[in-house]
Parts: sequence; structure tokens; C-alpha cells
Amino acid sequence: MFLQTFITYLLTVQSGYMILISCIHVQILRRAWKYQILDMSARMEDSQYSGQTVTLWREMTGLLIRDTNSMGGREVMKRSWRKRLTIGICLMMSIAALGGCSGDNGSAGEAGGDGPTPISIWMSMNTNASITLKSMNEITAIKEWEKKTITKIEFQHPAVGAETEQFNVMIASNQLPDAMFVNGDYAKLFNDGIIIRLNDLIDEYAPNLKKILDENPEVAKQLKADNGDIYAIPHLRLGEYKTFGGTFIRQDWLDELKLEKPETIEEWETVLKAFKEKKGVAAPLLFGAPPKMSTMGPAAPTYLEAYGITNNTFMKDGKVVYGPIEPEYKEFLTMFHRWYQEGLIDPDFATNDQKTYDAKILSSQAGAFFTFIGGGVGRYLPALQETDPNANLTATQYPVLNKGDEPLFTGRSWEWSSSGVVLTNSNKHPEETVKALDYFFSEEGHMLKNFGMEGLTYTMKDGYPTYTDEILKNPDGLSVAQAMAKHFIANYPFVGEDDDRYNEQYYQLQQQKDAAVLFSKYSENTLKVGLPPTSLTTEESTEYSKIMSDIGTYRDEMFVKFVIGVEPIENFDKFVDQINKFNVKRAIEIQQAALDRYNAR
Amino acid sequence: MKELSNKLSLLWLNYKKNKAIYWMALPVVLYFLVFKYLPMYGVIIAFKDYSVGKGIWGSDWVGLQHFRDFFQSYYFWRILKNTLLLSFYQLLFGFPAPILLALLLNELRHEIFKRTVQTISYIPHFISIVVICGMIVDFSSRDGLFNTIIGYFGGQSSALLSDPANFRTIYTASSIWQELGFSSIIYLAALSGINPELYDAANVDGASRLRQVWHITLPGIIPMIMILLILRIGGLMEIGFEKIILLYNPNVYDTADVISTFVYRKGISESAEFSYTTAVGLFQSVINFTLLIGANRLSKAISNTKLF
Repeated sequence: MFLQTFITYLLTVQSGYMILISCIHVQILRRAWKYQILDMSARMEDSQYSGQTVTLWREMTGLLIRDTNSMGGREVMKRSWRKRLTIGICLMMSIAALGGCSGDNGSAGEAGGDGPTPISIWMSMNTNASITLKSMNEITAIKEWEKKTITKIEFQHPAVGAETEQFNVMIASNQLPDAMFVNGDYAKLFNDGIIIRLNDLIDEYAPNLKKILDENPEVAKQLKADNGDIYAIPHLRLGEYKTFGGTFIRQDWLDELKLEKPETIEEWETVLKAFKEKKGVAAPLLFGAPPKMSTMGPAAPTYLEAYGITNNTFMKDGKVVYGPIEPEYKEFLTMFHRWYQEGLIDPDFATNDQKTYDAKILSSQAGAFFTFIGGGVGRYLPALQETDPNANLTATQYPVLNKGDEPLFTGRSWEWSSSGVVLTNSNKHPEETVKALDYFFSEEGHMLKNFGMEGLTYTMKDGYPTYTDEILKNPDGLSVAQAMAKHFIANYPFVGEDDDRYNEQYYQLQQQKDAAVLFSKYSENTLKVGLPPTSLTTEESTEYSKIMSDIGTYRDEMFVKFVIGVEPIENFDKFVDQINKFNVKRAIEIQQAALDRYNAR
Repeated sequence: MKELSNKLSLLWLNYKKNKAIYWMALPVVLYFLVFKYLPMYGVIIAFKDYSVGKGIWGSDWVGLQHFRDFFQSYYFWRILKNTLLLSFYQLLFGFPAPILLALLLNELRHEIFKRTVQTISYIPHFISIVVICGMIVDFSSRDGLFNTIIGYFGGQSSALLSDPANFRTIYTASSIWQELGFSSIIYLAALSGINPELYDAANVDGASRLRQVWHITLPGIIPMIMILLILRIGGLMEIGFEKIILLYNPNVYDTADVISTFVYRKGISESAEFSYTTAVGLFQSVINFTLLIGANRLSKAISNTKLF
């Protein structure tokens, strides 16, 4: 390994020097040429490259060497590649958009004769799957799906952590796959001419999905845009399980300190204080970080939501409201600032990433934190118990202000999770694509998606599909989530319908089963405050995202400043003023109009 | 007209004489044409409301709307200030550092020692920026190297990279550390071009080492310093995008967010405001261009050294 690195290093340095020498050569030529015309190109080269010919070699040598260094970790290489790709594509964006070189987009040409139809699908790779597989093409169920539907699926995966970037670049360059699994602004994608309308295709080629939509008008209402258009083959959750995560607390510490599981904010404060003082925990309440740079993370809003508002737009008595400018937000900030000063929340909340987040939990430095029932608890609890057999986690109800209140926000998803597969305008086989995707809504496809192959990953016991040891006690030591991801697509969103029987078995540990019951208890309340999947017109969507992206950055920064205390809480009014200046009123109006249209559907 | 044809015939003569050289330059010329000039066409979208479906020509013209939006934006002054300040610090502290190192190295007479110092000082340049930033992030974490040192002297440990007050220092210092050695090479090259007889003459006249540096060495490399300074000023608004992206987090946007990172976030990573960000990027390039021309003029007026 070392030798290989060394040789590659030598080679790249060598080629670096070659470039360097040729650059010097050019430099000398430049000096030698007396003619204005020739000097022009060199002059422009300077202003283009911020002048530094030095930079040129530096950039070049730097780029080359970067590759060698990143041999250390795949992640690093990906990141550096991603950046180069992004920059490169940005530069060429315009050429590509010209259409002059749109060329072949990766999917093979026309299907020859009776062979399988080639379909490319863009989709980000789930982390549980990426542990064992390079591409979703290797998933057992996908191979079976290809056979059943006579298609040849080619998955295109963006680099982990760069999904949005790569999606935007792909859209801008108009180099589209046949289909994309997205969770996005469907109406805008349609109006921009990127995706196609699916109504007629579904009527004709997706009998199974059509049947579900006919039987569940509420679901159809969510899926259809205001004008009745359908743009996505959806991922649906019709069953009972619609809440998948929440705050977990160290039950063993509660027992040790003889404390009750906290329900109200006040009780939480007592418990966190006890953790801090008696257990010496660095981060009694851990939050922040995942997913991606968001300073709020998923855990902090839980405590905000105890005040009856949330971090974004939501419904209050049927009207759209923006949480951070409501007076309750100030109360929350005051409370959270106090918690920060008293050391009850993780002091590093703003800089945590997934790694530090995990490390704090696994080294028993965190008392309570947000995680998902399946992938989170299933991973943390066994690992914790390995070092400390007494360690135990338990789910806590979403906190409230007063004893006896019912929590409003529970992270319950709608039947349509707003994600699904869209067909792009460069799809040459829309009928076959829709047919193939509809397979997952058939009885056979549904089983394949949720349970995999009979005999290999599940067996029928009294009509109940029971997972085999391949999934539950994987011989290669994979966790349940990882083993599932290797064989079928149940534990993350993809076209088709989730099956409750999968969730029942996915949650193997008692703590997980309890959590699912606990979190579901008040989940219906969320329907009263959560915005349904509304759809915006292109103009609205552009205006809305422009306003909200400024506000979002500002809100996140100020949240941190208020909590840390750089900005005194007295300045809350200024904060609200500034958000108003960003024209939050218009954004609310847009959402309200969309909500009214949704209700009129 | 006559002048032009004269020039062309001269060019033709020159071409016939130096055929090989022209052909050798061809790939470079092509490189710039294809990768630098052709994409410039896309700049048009800064003046349009670019919609992917309609394409560059099909989108509607909006004139200077995006520029106006940017100038009125809440973040305009902040990112402009950050861009200029970070560049200015780089210039103020980063520019003289390699000159100083080159001068010091030049005074060393012990060959092996000199070589060793030089090698060690330019090694960081060859480490990928991703790795460098990983190291910096690691070192400045709550239990990292820097905090251990601070703790050793009795200070409080804190997450250094989440405090806006530290960002500029960390950024500038690490840049100097990384580029110091490599940048000094060019000065050392210039130094080796100075006629040694000048030193001998100075010795005969009894000039001290310091005098020699002041009156022979420094004047000898002034043209090189001026040229590099002009180039540097031309890139004043263009501050290392990769490094900031890898180092910053929303907490330090206050001092770390610069034009290029703003463009990256608004254009690609968060929202997809292609037209707006193109306008912002164009604004940056125009300022750079103006600065470059200005610095060149100024340098020509002051020291008679010029780039073009």
C-alpha cells in the first residue's frame, strides 16, 4: 500500500513538473513574442486566471496531487472529485445548455428487438445500502424486478452528501436520466420542461397504482397538483406507522437517579440538570448536526414545538404562519439560552457532524438525543450495551409546556411522503418505465419491495411474511437495517407502498417497539398543524424559494447567536423586523394561496 | 490597413521561422478557447431570467435586475467586506512572508541546512487542500491540538472554528503556513539571477550583510515582487473558495462567507438561482479585472515595472 502510494506520488509530481515546464515554456515564448496579436492571448490568459501563471501550475499540480492524497479515504476522494466535477460542469454549463453537445445521456440507445428495455434512474444511495453495495443495481429485489418487468435498470447515484449540488448541476446542464427519484418541487420541474405529466400513462399502464388512488381519494388528493396533474410515481405510507423518530433518553441513568421520564419542559430541565450534575455528562441534551450543516438539527425543534410553533411555516387554525416570528419563539430562545448557559445542552451543537454526534452517544457523553427508531436505536443500543451492559435507551414523548397537554408536532408524515419517481423529458420509453414502476404496487411487487425473495429473506408463517435469519441475524454480521438494504428496499423511500408487517419486524428490540407505539400516540394531531403537500406555480415557487433561502440562512445564524448569547434576547424584535424586511409576508401569502387551492381540490 | 497587412506579413514570416514553437503552443491556445472563452457565452444568463427548459436564448431578458437584487441584498455588504478583508489579510501578511523567507534563506551559507529548511517549508504545499482543511478542523476542535496548547497555558478550551472571531486568523495563518515555502521558490530563482560581482564589489567597499541585502538583493528582486504583486491584486476578490467551503459552518458565515462561497450556496448547493449567482460572479470578475488593470497602471507609474 505504501509503495503504491509512493509510486503514484512520484508519478504525479513528475507530471506536475512536466506541466510546470511547459508553462515556463509558454512564459518564455510570451516574452519573446513582440507582436501585439500574440501577446493578446497571453494577456487574456492572465485576467482569466486571476493572472497567476504560478497559480496555473499550482492549480494543476495541486489537483493532481489531491488525488493521490485522497487514496487515504474514499470519502475524501469523493469530495474532491465532486468539487472538481461541480466546477467543471459549471464552466461547461452554458455549452451543454446550448444543446449542441447534449449527446447521449448514459442510457443505452433504442431497445433492440425483444431485449430488456434500458431505463436509467437517478437516485441518491441510502447509507445502509452503501455499506455492502456499490450501486442499487446489486440489490436482490432490483435484479428480480428487472427480470419480472423485462427492463434493464441502470441506477445513477450522486456522491453522498452532495445530492442537492449534483441534482442542481444535472438539471442545469440538461443531461437527464430517464427517471429520477426526487423529493422536490414537482410543478416547477414540470413547468421548466424537465419532467412529464403522468396522468395518461398511469391510466393506461399503471393499473395497480390507479386502483390504489381510486380507493384512497385522500391519497390521490395529496398526489395531484392543483390542476389534477400527476408528476410522480409515489412512495406511499398507507399503514399505521407514520412516525419514525423522536427523542431518546438514557433510561439507565433515569433509574439510577430515581427520576421519572420527563414530559414537560420543566421536567426536562430537572432531568438534564441531574444528568449534568450527578453524572457529569458533557452534553446532557445532544442536538445539531445531522442532517448536513443545519444548526437546528432535528432535535432542537422538538423543544421549540412544545411551545406550539415550529421552525418553519405551519398551520395555526387553518392559516399559514411562520414560526420564528411568533412571540413563542422568543420564549423558546430565552429558555434555550438559559439551558446553554447552565450547560444543559451540547456546547458544540453548532459544529457537530454525524461522526461527533455518534461519538458522543457511544461514549455515554449524551443524555438525550434525537434519532430514528429503526436505523438509529438499532445501531446505538447494541453498541452501547457492548461497553456498558446496563445501558438502556427509551423513547420520550414529544415534550409539552404543561402537564397533560397533547403534543402537536410529531414528525408524522403524510400518506404521500412527497417523494417519488419522475420521468424526464428525455425518457424514450415512458410506457415501459411506468409499467415497470407500477409493478411495485402489484401484490407480487409489493412483497418483493417489502420482504424480498421468499425462501431467501422471508418465509410465510400462517400467512405472515416472517424475515429469515439472513435479515434478522445476518451471518455476515450486518445489522437488520443493513441486511434489509442489501436485499430489498423497505427501510427507506422508494416507489411503492410501505407494509406495516415490515415495520413490526424491523423494530426488533423492545425499546424500538415501545417507541413506535409511543410516538404514534398523538401523531394524528400533526395533521392539524402540518402543511399538506401543496403545489406552487413556477412564479410562486421562484419567489418563495428566493425569500425563504435568505430567511433560512438568517434564522439559523440568529438562532445560534441567541442561544450562545452573542445576541441578547432583547434584540428579538429586531430579528423579527429583519425577517419582515425579507418579506416573509409574501412567502406566507404564497403558501396560504397554495393551501387554499389544496383544500379546494 | 497597410499597417495591418504589414503586421500580418511579419507574423507570417515569424510563423515560417518558428513553426515548431507555434505548433507547440496550439494545445494551450485550444485549452483556453474551449475551457475559458466558450463558456463565457453563458454569462448572458446574468441578464436573463434563466429557465432550464427554455434554454439560454429562450429565457426572458431582465436587464440588470439580478445586479440590483444583489446590491440591495441583506448579505451584500457582509460578503463584500469578508471577501476584501480576507484577501487584504492574505496580501498584508501572506505576500511579504515568502520574500522574507527567501531573503533569509539566501543569507544561509550552509548548503545542507538551507536545502532542508527549504524542503520542509514547501512540503505543506503538496498536501491536498482537503487534507489540510481536515487537519485544521481536527486541530481546532474542542479537544484538538490547538486547545491542548491553549489549555497548557491555562486558557479555556472552546470550539475554535465555531467562533466568528477566529476564522480570519485561522484562515490567513494556515494559508501562510501552507504556501510560504513554495512561493519563496520564485524569489530564490530571482535571487540567483543577481550578479555575484555586485556582492564582491560591496564587500570590497566594506558593506555589511544588511547593507548588501538592502542595496543589492532587494533591488534585484523588485521587478519580480512588483509583477507578483500586480497578479495578486488582480485576484483580490477571488479568495480560495475550496478552502473556505471546507472550513466554514453557518456559525461563522459572519466572517467567513465570501462572494464565491455565496455563489456556490445560492447557485448549486442550496437553491438553484443560476441567473442571480451568475450576476454575482460576473460582478466579482469585473472588479478583479478593474483592479488588475489599475494595479498595472499604478506599478508602471511608480516603478516602471509592468505586466503588459
